[in-house]
Amino acid sequence: MTGSTLIILAVFVAVFAGLAIWDIVRSKKKNEKFRLRSTVTAYLMLLPAVLLAFLFILLPILYSLGYAFTDYYLLTPNDIDFIGFDNFKNVFVEIGEKGTLYHAIINTLIFVVGVVPLQIGMALGLALFTNRKVRGVKIFKVCFFAPVVISLSVTSFLWLQILSPSDTGLLNSFLGIFGAKPHDWLRDPKTAMLCIIILSAWQGCGYQMLIFTSGLSNIRNDLYEAAALDGANAWQKFKTVTWPGLRSTFVYIIITVFIGACRIMTQPMLMTGYQDHTVTLSYYMYQQGYKYRWVGYSSAVALIMTLVIGTITLIQRRAFREK
Amino acid sequence: MKKIFKAVSLFAVSAVMACGFAACGGGGGGEEKDEAGNTIVKIMFHVDEKSTEGQAYKKRIDAFNTAYKDKKIKASATYQARTTGAAGYETELLNKQVEGTLPDIITFDAPNCASYAKSALLYDISSLVPQDVQSDFISLNKYDGKLYGLPIQESSAGFFYNKNIFKAANVDVSSYTVENPWTLAQFKDVCAKIKASGKTAVDMRLDATKDETATYLLYPFIYAAGGTFTSEDGFTASGYFNSAATQSGFQFLKDLVAEGYTSYSIGATDFFTGKTGMYLSSGWTIPEIENKYKETFKSRDDWGLLPYPQGTAKASATGSWCFGITNNHHKDKEAAKELLLWLTSTESSDSITTATGMIAARKSVNKNYADGSPESVLLKQLQLTGKARPSTVAYPTFSTCFSQVIYSLKDGNLSDVLNAQAKTLQSEMDRIPR
Repeated sequence: MTGSTLIILAVFVAVFAGLAIWDIVRSKKKNEKFRLRSTVTAYLMLLPAVLLAFLFILLPILYSLGYAFTDYYLLTPNDIDFIGFDNFKNVFVEIGEKGTLYHAIINTLIFVVGVVPLQIGMALGLALFTNRKVRGVKIFKVCFFAPVVISLSVTSFLWLQILSPSDTGLLNSFLGIFGAKPHDWLRDPKTAMLCIIILSAWQGCGYQMLIFTSGLSNIRNDLYEAAALDGANAWQKFKTVTWPGLRSTFVYIIITVFIGACRIMTQPMLMTGYQDHTVTLSYYMYQQGYKYRWVGYSSAVALIMTLVIGTITLIQRRAFREK
Repeated sequence: MKKIFKAVSLFAVSAVMACGFAACGGGGGGEEKDEAGNTIVKIMFHVDEKSTEGQAYKKRIDAFNTAYKDKKIKASATYQARTTGAAGYETELLNKQVEGTLPDIITFDAPNCASYAKSALLYDISSLVPQDVQSDFISLNKYDGKLYGLPIQESSAGFFYNKNIFKAANVDVSSYTVENPWTLAQFKDVCAKIKASGKTAVDMRLDATKDETATYLLYPFIYAAGGTFTSEDGFTASGYFNSAATQSGFQFLKDLVAEGYTSYSIGATDFFTGKTGMYLSSGWTIPEIENKYKETFKSRDDWGLLPYPQGTAKASATGSWCFGITNNHHKDKEAAKELLLWLTSTESSDSITTATGMIAARKSVNKNYADGSPESVLLKQLQLTGKARPSTVAYPTFSTCFSQVIYSLKDGNLSDVLNAQAKTLQSEMDRIPR
């Protein structure tokens, strides 16, 4: 642990202690039933969780924020200079010159636009399918959820076999039955991102299916009975009962899937490597920060990305807010 | 109020304890010693401990600890398998550098020498060069005239070929030796004959662009065409990476794809199962052929190894992993030097290359390779035509740029691709302070 981390940690503990004392003194003045021992105990019990959250969540973000304004090179961690907004300037130059960062932004956008509706649609469809009281439906539920528990690396390699460009590849040999020529799905810029979108939606939708299933179980059955008495068909029941009942679940899912989609890295890394037609923002940051060792520049990209994702998430929350 | 002060004191004690525990992680400036008074030398290997190579290293470390018991020096080894993902050896190494917990000795891939040396991660070991080390083998381990890495073994690559396929295609390559190499045109002629016999001519490993493999195996073709990648100081790529000669080297590879001699979709085992005539690979394929594919290759009469074809210049792949002493918090490097010399000694070189099938870095390790055997082809090739990848602090970017050119050979406009990659590489070089 570096000296600066220790100083920040000590400052944090001091601030936490200060706030706790201030709160204790304030509460004591206001509340006659105040019990000092209980309050202090509560704060002491809170301290480990707050400390861990600070160390592993807030501190890395603060460091990243700081590094974004420096020339931090991974091989020279003891020689860091403040360079102002140079990293941010370079980010915009790279975008302006349509360099790899430009492609990373476009690819990430394509991925988000493709995977969010597909994955949520698949999850909702599967949840509706498995929510029916039919014999053996639990087996389907397990099958649909299985890809979630398999590592992304493993599923990526499985899909590499499916999408193999040779005529013995699973997809190519299947299409060959209909006379199609073997296609290099992951090398072709027109199909590479599409394949990654389908793989990702397939891999992730099982998890959202479970959340939707939980949301569906919270919808009262009498609402469906009332709709049936009114003569509603299946679509009308979905539109007027199921969908409004799933609204808060849907908001949660759309936000989490969106954030997850913005962070995609493993699939392009394992399936195509660092190529312009599949590189994504997270992969670009990893490459710049770890392989090329420019931590300062990579942090600047991360900071901009965090701000953009945060803003979009806030917009999403406002847009889907209950009126 | 008393109780509040008690609470504050508790918080303060917690803070001090937290800082105290954290501070324990830092190291001192002297040597690290264990309870028995042994000086501990930490070393990190890039291979899995259970692998053949890992086991060979482990034996040498155990032998060192026995031999140096009286001198009170003890080696402590960790094994971090090299992978392409975030959990790889390089990531672990860089993390240790940031944390300030670098071991005393590390293994590193020779092309990284320049950036590690420039960043003062490595310690100058110019005074330790053994007399009988193959001088060509350490050229990539030098930066600014100083030596930073010593190899145990060296790798080279060539074209493994299926003698039965060659016979059926009526191809005779017996006259192509390292001393009398085949030309690029003769290489294409052989490819044409194998293709005409109904087999895939050659697996050039064009799909191996996700890691260093494609760069390592294919860069000699660019040198052979008279091309280069960077200026000698490693800080200029424009005009080198996209020069006419460099382009002609890549064009040769592009033509092989266009003429159907090779492709990006050759199966990983096609050569080993008799579907492909030639396979570009390193010496590590020798034990693979002999141990795993006995059905196709019953004996050495069924397969052989051809050197790289040559053009206006001569070049073949070189550059392996080597050992270097780090500039960590231990100022006294004497114990680390002892271990380094032990690991790169003739005895270590002999036992480790026996396990890995690679070429020993020491001249004194006489393997008595039979003339014309794959091992002797690799050794002679290293001695006569071995040419290292460019020594540049921007090597990671160079490797990515090279891979992206290979990836784009099939569809991209070569000139445009080379210009774009030269620009990317140059802008990376410009970011690095001279």
